[in-house]
Amino acid sequence: MNEEEIINILKEKFGDKIVECKIPMKRRVFVEVSKECYKDVVKFLLHDLDMKHVEAITGVDAKDHFEVIAHIGYGISVSVKVKISKDEPVIDSICDIARGVELYEREAYDLLGIVFKGNPNLKRFILPEDWPEGVYPLRKDYEAEHPKPLR
Amino acid sequence: MSFYIPIGPQHPVHPEPLLMKFKVEGEQVIDVEINVSYTHRGIEKGFEYRDYMKGIFLAERICGICNAAHTLCYTQNIEQLLGKEIPPRAKYLRLIVEELSRIHSHLLWLGLAAHQIGFETLFMYVWRDREKVLDLLETITGNRVVTAYNTIGGVRRDITPEIEQKIRKSLDYLEERTKYFKKVVMEEPTVLVRTQNVGILKPREAIELFAVGPVLRASGIKHDIRADDPYIAHDEVPFNVVTYDTCDVYARILVRVDEILECINMVRYSLDHLPSGEYRIRMPVIVRPPPGESVSRVEAPRGELLHYVRSDGSDKPYRYKVRTPTLANIPSTARMLTSRGDYIVYIADIPIIFGSIDPCLCCTGRVMFIDIEKSKSWVWTYNELVRYSLKRFERHD
Repeated sequence: MNEEEIINILKEKFGDKIVECKIPMKRRVFVEVSKECYKDVVKFLLHDLDMKHVEAITGVDAKDHFEVIAHIGYGISVSVKVKISKDEPVIDSICDIARGVELYEREAYDLLGIVFKGNPNLKRFILPEDWPEGVYPLRKDYEAEHPKPLR
Repeated sequence: MSFYIPIGPQHPVHPEPLLMKFKVEGEQVIDVEINVSYTHRGIEKGFEYRDYMKGIFLAERICGICNAAHTLCYTQNIEQLLGKEIPPRAKYLRLIVEELSRIHSHLLWLGLAAHQIGFETLFMYVWRDREKVLDLLETITGNRVVTAYNTIGGVRRDITPEIEQKIRKSLDYLEERTKYFKKVVMEEPTVLVRTQNVGILKPREAIELFAVGPVLRASGIKHDIRADDPYIAHDEVPFNVVTYDTCDVYARILVRVDEILECINMVRYSLDHLPSGEYRIRMPVIVRPPPGESVSRVEAPRGELLHYVRSDGSDKPYRYKVRTPTLANIPSTARMLTSRGDYIVYIADIPIIFGSIDPCLCCTGRVMFIDIEKSKSWVWTYNELVRYSLKRFERHD
């Protein structure tokens, strides 16, 4: 199966819920989907198209909204992107269809404050235990202190 | 009756900051909880404050041993954003350094694995021979471990015919020694007893838990980014994807030993077919890629490495994401360390089972200095670091 076939199959199956598709280079596909069908698209890619592997889950703070990107596939890498609002950063967890993603979701939860509904173990993972609640270092409004010259 | 045994964050068994909480019944491990949050250095945030050229140095410091893989992945990612193709000679030179550092990493791991099962002689032998690879890396790149070789647009140095001769000579020696190590591993009862049927990860579990790299290949799954998603010159340099199907620690040792032999052949082939011409294209110091995003993947010594970058058109990345192989292998490790059915994990097997994934915690938690109370983080300048170390030295003298 090549990159264009994947996009065509997805468009046929999910219709207008697929917002945007891109093939920036060989073996790379970027697909933007709506929030409701994110889990279905991942499930379809993993089980029906037999891509088997979730490589990573990236969270991005894109100023006016958050984005969650699931990178899927062994050979061709399909990145499934979802936009979620900042007021309610909640998205369905894909833990029940892909067991290995628990830690990736916890990482995004920890660093960006995106809540994955249905993740059985959504708690602190990377930050220290006594890091204050509600401070998310990868958000754009969090400013790390810059080094000062010594006097 | 069950007890909890904490191992880590500081423990002689594993010299990396990690907490494993084992639930044991007698000698048997029945459950494990892994906490990796002790070395978060804020590197992903750090990328957002540095321009693309400075990012190379930060990427290099994500992990000391896989530094060649990290810079390769980083530079490749930025080149994809810029839409630049590097010269063919640079592709081959990158491949040579990548494969040499894979040999280095696997030898280092083989020594540590021998150390973890108490086979100190093998540890000493392997680490002595590992020096050969370090010498080669030093000759090619100027540095023994952190190579600083890849740059945006190619590599920093070319190799001369003399260096080529030196590489070939060392490779012959290494090949002979690696074959000897393989013989030792396959025949020595000490190794066989401690590794066979220990740390089982079935192929189905390996796929379900998204294991990567040698761990996946030791479970019989034929997947290697170099073969499935070839980058640099991997589509031209032939090699075999090594797999074993006994799914235990023994298979993981053999996969890595065989990979060393494959790497040696790949470096030889690349030297034979090294294209002539430029070894890099000159890039401006400040690069401004067009807005967009890119995913880059590399087979690091420990497994598949993924970098994701998003650019907003400025001279700094908008978001940079790194997914390291050890993080991907942690769920599988928890599986290997849990007794189930006929398969029993003993406390004595914990070090080698955890060691068998070649864990590298410094790349798994990535961050900077963190002041927990004030919820602030900061970076030390070089002078501050020097001053601090001097002060410490005085105090403890």
